[in-house]
Amino acid sequence: MHNASRLARLVLCTALLAAVSHTVCAFTVTIAPAAPKTVYLQVGVGGFTGNYNAGGTPGNNATVNKDSVTVAAAAVGNGTPQAMTTDSTVGASSYDGFAFCNVPAQLYIGGFYRTTTAGGGSVNVTATVPAALVDAGGDTLSFARISWTTGGNGPTGSTPTQPFPAGTFTAGAVQTVGAIAQNQWAESCWTFSYSNTTFPAAGTYTGRVLYTLTAP
Amino acid sequence: MRSLSRLLLLMVLVAAVPADAKTTVIDDSGTLPYDAPLVLHWQQLSPRRPVNNRMIGTLTVRVKLNVAPWLRRPGRIYLVLPAQQPGAMNASWSTQGRLLPGRLSSGSRSLVYSGLITTPFIEDVLQLTLEVDGTQMRQLYHVNFRFEMDEE
Repeated sequence: MHNASRLARLVLCTALLAAVSHTVCAFTVTIAPAAPKTVYLQVGVGGFTGNYNAGGTPGNNATVNKDSVTVAAAAVGNGTPQAMTTDSTVGASSYDGFAFCNVPAQLYIGGFYRTTTAGGGSVNVTATVPAALVDAGGDTLSFARISWTTGGNGPTGSTPTQPFPAGTFTAGAVQTVGAIAQNQWAESCWTFSYSNTTFPAAGTYTGRVLYTLTAP
Repeated sequence: MRSLSRLLLLMVLVAAVPADAKTTVIDDSGTLPYDAPLVLHWQQLSPRRPVNNRMIGTLTVRVKLNVAPWLRRPGRIYLVLPAQQPGAMNASWSTQGRLLPGRLSSGSRSLVYSGLITTPFIEDVLQLTLEVDGTQMRQLYHVNFRFEMDEE
């Protein structure tokens, strides 16, 4: 069968060789993209092995980072926002290793969205926010008490141009916290703070926010 | 004076030869694989400014060119990548020495052999790399190559 196909090809080529330039006698390469769509999102510690410009590649990392603040008893409810800090050690951009964020004050968030579709689309990053942080005694503290500013070091760090802008958690909701333009790397540094305008019961309040990058 | 005229005439005739060169598509039906699948990968997984949307892939092609019609005559062989879907492409290749390595863009050709044709077939193994604009890759595309002979 293989030889028959080759013979048929040869006959066809030979018959048409008399005509000068023609594409009949031409080997063909059938091309197809292996991964037409690729997404990567990193909040805090990520799974990037090496940096992009050193041949690094993205991967998975199950680490869940924590942003926290301890409010002094005398300061509770005084209306002065309390800066939170992260346990993430990642301040360097996974793109080139540039010290984009200042840890522990800032939390790194970055990623990209690869697609073969032409155009200027983008994909959103959402935060799934619980209604409240809870302590061991079941006391609650609304997630809406937590806000963040945005920025970064260097020429791409100016606040107005950040792909992940400043915001405040919407308690018990899924909210959009940024966008990644297709075929571009996006990154920002978030500085969280607790508004400190209420008098909750003493305790350690925790809650987990889930960040999701969704591509069509 | 007469010898100078003869020399000028000779130079004019020599210069005119390439214009008479005939280009013929070479029978490459012995090439394997003849319709080769090639999976393309993003050249840069993580794009940032400047954005690189190139997709790239490499495959091995066993080229077999039937050059019997030009046996014992000098010729120049070119690899041609015609302009075609999905748009601008670059191809580069290495060889095992019978043909010349090189690179070319779609819509152009590149010299792979120049000299006397001494055997009925010219064979070589090419490591062919193709680069394509990933944003144009909406489906499967059959990218055609061909070999051309310029008779001297």
